[in-house]
Amino acid sequence: MTPAISATGLTRRYRDHTALDDINIAISGGTITGLLGRNGAGKTTLLRILAGHEFPSSGSVRVLGAPPAENEDVLRRLVFVREDQAYPDIKVGQALRAASWFHPNWDSTLASSLLDDFGVRANKAVKKLSRGQRSALGITIGLAARAEVTLFDEPYAGLDAVARQVFYDRLLADFAEFPRTVLLSTHLIDEAAALFEGVIVIDRGRVVLDAPADVLRGVATRVSGPCLAVDALAGGRPVWERRRLGSQASVVMVGPLSPDDREQARSSGLDLTPLSLQQIVVQAAAGVLAPAPETSFETERTCA
Amino acid sequence: MNTWVKVARYHLVRPANYLFLLWILPFSFAVGAVTAGRGRGHDAAGYLISFFIYFGVLGMQTIGRSLPFGLTLGASRRSFYSGTALLGMALALVSGLALTALQAIERATDGWGLSMHFFRVPYLLNGPWYATWLTSAVVLFALFVYGMWHGIVYSRWGPLGTLAFIAVQVLVVVAGAVVVRFEHWGVRSAASGSSAGLTALGLTAVVAALAVLVLAGGHATIRRATV
Repeated sequence: MTPAISATGLTRRYRDHTALDDINIAISGGTITGLLGRNGAGKTTLLRILAGHEFPSSGSVRVLGAPPAENEDVLRRLVFVREDQAYPDIKVGQALRAASWFHPNWDSTLASSLLDDFGVRANKAVKKLSRGQRSALGITIGLAARAEVTLFDEPYAGLDAVARQVFYDRLLADFAEFPRTVLLSTHLIDEAAALFEGVIVIDRGRVVLDAPADVLRGVATRVSGPCLAVDALAGGRPVWERRRLGSQASVVMVGPLSPDDREQARSSGLDLTPLSLQQIVVQAAAGVLAPAPETSFETERTCA
Repeated sequence: MNTWVKVARYHLVRPANYLFLLWILPFSFAVGAVTAGRGRGHDAAGYLISFFIYFGVLGMQTIGRSLPFGLTLGASRRSFYSGTALLGMALALVSGLALTALQAIERATDGWGLSMHFFRVPYLLNGPWYATWLTSAVVLFALFVYGMWHGIVYSRWGPLGTLAFIAVQVLVVVAGAVVVRFEHWGVRSAASGSSAGLTALGLTAVVAALAVLVLAGGHATIRRATV
């Protein structure tokens, strides 16, 4: 099946740095994918190229089967909500009215309801909105457009926790009713982790992790407890990180734990905590995730 | 709905800039009426230039912050540019028609009872109604797209790029003037109103050709604009 979004050998160079370096991704339709990475990793550049706002230096991108740049057959089926969106000197209601003309699946009722949820008045000038309210306007446009491809770039900058929860809830509810392809870039990884079916991590312009979220959720476990017991469980296995404080130790073990492992941990008084998506992303961004992690990490024995 | 029309509507969603057009004319007319008696032959047509200049400013304003949100809405650069130019053309045609009608009233009332020449611009807008409409619409449209081009240049290269763009234009105009003077082509300034080599309609054709060039230049500039 043709992916809804794909990039092949995508590179974007600026005068003094390379923002994207040989990116290859393929995102299936009808999924919510997290685009994660540190500041300046290249997430926004990738999204801008996917939305046709920026041009690649080399390589190609396809959205809904065709290159998006200057292609209105694609652009009218796509919506891009960006953190730094510049608006003309208009009111919230006027921005929504304009958006309704361009997006064929626009839902005015949903837009009004979202504005109510976020507490943004339609007759307020966009330039007078707070940062969070501007984010709410972007989210409203992104969801009410019901575009086949929805790109969110840090959509909730400045939004409080309650408003962010509104966004997650409304996105999931509307996604269930009107499935579409969503690519969401965010720094609040653990908060949004439950949304993701797939995760792409970019670091310094390169893809360092591209995997289904379910696979990642069980990929690593933090084992902590008495030093000797930790070593007994982790011995000979790949680990990402080892810490020791007195007689206590903590390691991050890579790979799924078997029932025997869990039983051994329970009887030895060890704590097992699955690594969160955010922690996995941190490891990925730190370059710990090599192509073959099972052979890349050696266990250090420090308690012997 | 065609995307060009959607883009034109998008600009009009914020009507304040365009409604300002309705204010400029009566304001400059009032100033002209007050001062007309002092001018030679009660000529106040110079004040009409503010209306034309505003068209250039309007063209510039259609890019600026409107372009990024326009692209976010899903318009391509090509459609955004064409829709904006379409809006400029419609505004120029309607405004030209209004100027033509007001000129007819001015003629019928002997200069609004003041022997004033406000809508009768010597040489340029002083012929039959269709010539006034055509010339004013073409000049207004040319100024609009000229303003658009500057807006696009600013959007791509910022203030320094715009300054360089203006400097290049000044150089071209100066070089052109020098060549004309050396060649003794006999085409004297149209604005001086004296024995110009071109008729008003001929000059309109030249402005129309320039507008086409400016349109092409603006289109080439916006094609690689990023937001």
